[in-house]
Amino acid sequence: MSFSATQVKDSNSLPGGDSTSRLVLQMARRDISTLFRTPWIIISRSLAFIVQLFVFAYLISGFVVKFPNYFEYYAVGSVVGTIASISFIIGYDIFEEAEEGLLDYLLTLPISRRQFIIGRALGGAVRAMIYTIPMFVIVAVLEKFSNPLSLAFAVFDLFLLAFGVTGLSITMAVSVRSANRFDVTLALLELAVSRASTALYPLAFMPGYVAAFAPYSPVTFAADSARDVLEGTGLNLLGIAGLLAFVAIFLGLGATFYFRRLEGGVYA
Amino acid sequence: MITFNRAGKRFGTLDAVKDFSLEIQDREILGLLGPNGAGKTTLMLMMGTVYRPTSGAISVDGLDVVRHPNDVRKLIGIAFQDPRVDGILGAFDVLNWHLKMTTGLNKEERTERVEQVLRAVDLWDARKKRTWLMSGGMRKKVEDCKVLAQRPKIAVFDEPTAFLDVPSRLLMWKMIRELREEGSTVIVATNMMDEAERLSDRVAIVNLGKLVATDSPERLKGTTKGGEVLELIVGDGQAFPRELLAQFSEVRDVTQVENKVTVYLSSGRLLLPKIVETLTNKGVKIDSVHLKEVALEDVFLSYTGQRLE
Ligand SMILES: Nc1ncnc2c1ncn2[C@@H]1O[C@H](COP(=O)(O)OP(=O)(O)OP(=O)(O)O)[C@@H](O)[C@H]1O
Ligand SMILES: [Mg+2]
Repeated sequence: MSFSATQVKDSNSLPGGDSTSRLVLQMARRDISTLFRTPWIIISRSLAFIVQLFVFAYLISGFVVKFPNYFEYYAVGSVVGTIASISFIIGYDIFEEAEEGLLDYLLTLPISRRQFIIGRALGGAVRAMIYTIPMFVIVAVLEKFSNPLSLAFAVFDLFLLAFGVTGLSITMAVSVRSANRFDVTLALLELAVSRASTALYPLAFMPGYVAAFAPYSPVTFAADSARDVLEGTGLNLLGIAGLLAFVAIFLGLGATFYFRRLEGGVYA
Repeated sequence: MITFNRAGKRFGTLDAVKDFSLEIQDREILGLLGPNGAGKTTLMLMMGTVYRPTSGAISVDGLDVVRHPNDVRKLIGIAFQDPRVDGILGAFDVLNWHLKMTTGLNKEERTERVEQVLRAVDLWDARKKRTWLMSGGMRKKVEDCKVLAQRPKIAVFDEPTAFLDVPSRLLMWKMIRELREEGSTVIVATNMMDEAERLSDRVAIVNLGKLVATDSPERLKGTTKGGEVLELIVGDGQAFPRELLAQFSEVRDVTQVENKVTVYLSSGRLLLPKIVETLTNKGVKIDSVHLKEVALEDVFLSYTGQRLE
């Protein structure tokens, strides 16, 4: 074998500036592509969603009389809840990579820890969006949501939620050491974040101990502000601010834990 | 240049690397030779910014690995001891992605480089095979190929020929040398004597996290007292009377690992009959005798008290 005379330094030098964002996007693409390895999951989940929605619509038309438009409430909320659940998956992926050692390799690539986490969170969030968009379309059609601007704002809400939850999930993946504890922690968090929220039931109908926490759940922020904008009530600034804070806290925390934990060598 | 300045890494209560100082010159091939658990991988992963040193400092081209990790990462490529490849991807995709992340090459250039290395290691036909379906040796080659295709300024290979068959080992050594010709500085961790001796310009012997000796393989052999080695296999369970051999001025050192006794000496040919006679007279049962030139493993043994086979 003989190498062509390409010199080691120059041909390899990564151009500065925008190449870093290119690398962040590559990182994200890596996670997104795992979704397309199993496209049937998206299809079957969307079908299941339709079936559930119709069954549910039929049931509540008989049961729920106290709360008008509950079907609409439920339909939007279940899309929001689904996006939160799917966004948690990235943490499991990263935990597994850490156990297999693949993470060590990824951490030698020429991007900062913070960019690495942003790339992964972005990948996980976009993946969750792609996965839930068909469901969102179904809901939009059923409910006749057609104002493009409000649809765009709702998608933005969903995206912020997904981005924050991936950050939370990654933070857990690098701060909990044992596999068993990690699985339990993440399952409980997922339950807490999506069930103790206004995704499926309004605050007024919750037991007191849930109603105490539910207003602070990111899923509540996202569900309420998505509903407001879709129903034409206007922009829910509190919800959006809550989501932004959620994103900032967990993406920041995740990065800090990466430095502390991983470079000590706990995983290898 | 790479500088380890009293670098240390402590995992819990274990000092995996301790007070390690070494300078590695540009375009040198440095062999890190040490037994299992010596700390070779830990040293490389500290240099590669995966682990943070718990004491001392490491710098790469003047950049401190803790303060400027991102700049350091741009200079280094690491082929891990256990292949770190996405199992679901084929070899081509693994390498192509690695180049996307570590080089500024465009698509055609990447394809060309990947094809070049995969053909060289005879994996081109298997380029689409998922790496988790590959044999251990094939997967190890893919791991090595990451760095061979990347051609980083600093190329790190952790046991590059573990699992490789003999022709593949020779080929891998040749490719690593060519990488150096292209301008890379190469660091190779190994616990194989022949690999350290035949591939490296300089060998650093590591034991229990510490640097115990470093020099060219030739000079290291020269430092071993006497220049010749007499290996004796003695009967089981016998205490070997070392002091008996002290009477010969040509004998410089004696070490023993189980029933294998190694005598470092000069004028071995003349001395051999006398030594055997002296020992048998004292009732030592000698099963076999072998006189040879000093090899790197003898140097290793005299520094670490361990044998690697
Ligand atoms: N992440 C870690 N956490 C705790 N201990 C570790 C970790 N990594 C390595 N060690 C310990 O550090 C010591 C040095 O390990 P290292 O992998 O550096 O040795 P090595 O020289 O590469 O050995 P080998 O030839 O077997 O690859 C060993 O005792 C090992 O158990
Ligand atoms: Mg090792």
